[in-house]
Amino acid sequence: MKSPTVRAGRILDAHLHLLDRQVLDVDDVPVTTVDDLELSDIPVDTDLDGVEAPVIVSLLSGAVLGTRIFGGRPPSTRWHRVPWSSLVELGTALKVDAAADDLEVSWPERWVRDHIIARIPGGRHDPE
Amino acid sequence: MKKLFAVALGVLTAIGGFVDIGDLVTNAVVGSRFGMSLAWVVVVGVVGICLFANMSGRVAAVSGRATFEIIRERLGPRAGLANLGASFFINLMTMAAEIGGIALVLQLVTGIGPMLWMPLAAFAVWIVVWRAKFSQLENAAGLLGLSLIVFAVAVVMLGPDWGELAHQAFVPTVPASEQPSTYWFYAVALFGAAMTPYEVFFFSSGAIEEGWTRKDLGQERVNVFVGFPLGGLLSLAIAASAAIVLLPQAIAVTSLSQVVLPVVQAGGTIAFCFLIVGMLAAFFGAALETTLSSGYTIAQYFGWSWGKFRRPAKAARFHLVMIVGLVIALGILLTGVDPIAVTEYSVVFSAVALPLTYIPILIISNDPDYMGTEVNGRAVNALGLVYLVVIVVAAVAAIPLMIISGAGA
Amino acid sequence: MILSDLIGSEVHDASGEALGRVVDARFRLEGSGTPSQARLVGIIVSPRSATSFLGYERNAVTRPVLVARLLRWMHRGSFLVLWGDIARIGTDRVELRPRYERLPSALESGE
Repeated sequence: MKSPTVRAGRILDAHLHLLDRQVLDVDDVPVTTVDDLELSDIPVDTDLDGVEAPVIVSLLSGAVLGTRIFGGRPPSTRWHRVPWSSLVELGTALKVDAAADDLEVSWPERWVRDHIIARIPGGRHDPE
Repeated sequence: MKKLFAVALGVLTAIGGFVDIGDLVTNAVVGSRFGMSLAWVVVVGVVGICLFANMSGRVAAVSGRATFEIIRERLGPRAGLANLGASFFINLMTMAAEIGGIALVLQLVTGIGPMLWMPLAAFAVWIVVWRAKFSQLENAAGLLGLSLIVFAVAVVMLGPDWGELAHQAFVPTVPASEQPSTYWFYAVALFGAAMTPYEVFFFSSGAIEEGWTRKDLGQERVNVFVGFPLGGLLSLAIAASAAIVLLPQAIAVTSLSQVVLPVVQAGGTIAFCFLIVGMLAAFFGAALETTLSSGYTIAQYFGWSWGKFRRPAKAARFHLVMIVGLVIALGILLTGVDPIAVTEYSVVFSAVALPLTYIPILIISNDPDYMGTEVNGRAVNALGLVYLVVIVVAAVAAIPLMIISGAGA
Repeated sequence: MILSDLIGSEVHDASGEALGRVVDARFRLEGSGTPSQARLVGIIVSPRSATSFLGYERNAVTRPVLVARLLRWMHRGSFLVLWGDIARIGTDRVELRPRYERLPSALESGE
């Protein structure tokens, strides 16, 4: 298997290696899926002569899944971003260097945890 | 010695966990109408589930990725979502069937219900999913489910004409009282009952729950290749018992009472007690597996944290999905629908949905990115392609056969 | 720019002829940072279908043989166009330079 390090030289195709992949936090807890990618800005509808190729700025998830399936584009405030710079490993899953709770993208999980699961007796305990 | 114990536990759990209400009812119906002439389907189904479960277990152990993550990664979000919808819907049907089965068994014993028992059964399933450790839950249900061996004992005690049974099995013919379309409809149903998709979701997610790695592949193979065929033998025993007692008297299987009749006839009250324990354990175990599968499929597709090995607070949405699933399944049952009917439809739809799960697993088990050196060998791939054809044919033929034969009427 | 704005866009050559659609984007990791930056190298264009299916057409997986052959046949004709050969990118439309080069889209094994 290829080395999962995020080091220079590797070639990646977005669909084959990045999109729809699992994102894991620093403890290997699943966080979200990669639904789309945010690239650095390039000029639209103008000649690209001399313009440097864009880089991946962040992994996107959340509302973008619906638009990938059905079309359209959610406003940028609705995206959950995972910065590319936080990537630690890029194998069959993508691992980031933060804990799940510290990532903006994990708020639905935290909401369900705080409002529903934690309210049921035994929710915070390990299975016996 | 400890290793031997672990191996034995794995095998016994696989046997006891193999039979669920789908297998029980379908085999009993088939035995009562077709004798042993559909036994070959059980064999085909068992080989198939061995192949499929082994591939998915290997994929999970080596790559650390569970089935529905792989389905999403390979098929993309659109096809993956369609796959999820179909799988979740059928899983829900199976959940309702198993919980209904628990209620029916309790009705058999107490004479009360079954609607009264359904909320209780659903709650019991939830409590175990909420609090019990994964391995405890698997082991307990699997070992108690071994009680179903009483079917095999009953077959022997009934002193059947073995030659006649063998003849029906090895020279399969459509009985004069039945149509070919009904025969083939039940072939598909039996196939769907043996190769239920939730088995694979559960098996591969279970591999990750128990932290299997390459080292555990040996144990995994023993569980699958010894345990599942023995479980298949149990299915055949159920069909045989129905063939011996119900077929000659043209007794139709419409409820669990007919299913248990051969065992009671053979071994009286004691046999009946074993049977009750076995059925309760088998259905409860299957209810746990399908409930967990509903959580696994949704959580894995959306990339959420999942797993019984995490406390509920660390896999909140996973547990929420299972609670909602149980409520919906209970709702379906409380409409008064007959759990036996739900069972019969669920196995047919399982056959229809099978390709959706099978194809991604077959493909990933060949991918060195995921599997390293553990990719499928040539023999496995050859068999895998044969079964791909069988599965697709069964899936495509299921609904037309259901319509032509009037769902086996 | 969002990737899914680019994927699915129609691709035209300098004379306006339609060549297909963007089915994927290729990146190379570069730079000494941790992690390295992922820079866009080019786009994969397919005249046939707008979606990649199972990745067979480009990666090193060759088995099961029949499935691989079927999918490669379905995706025949896909090619890679480097960044330098892209003239402009608009909404749902990519225009290539006059003497763009069609490169094979297959990834080398081990990548």
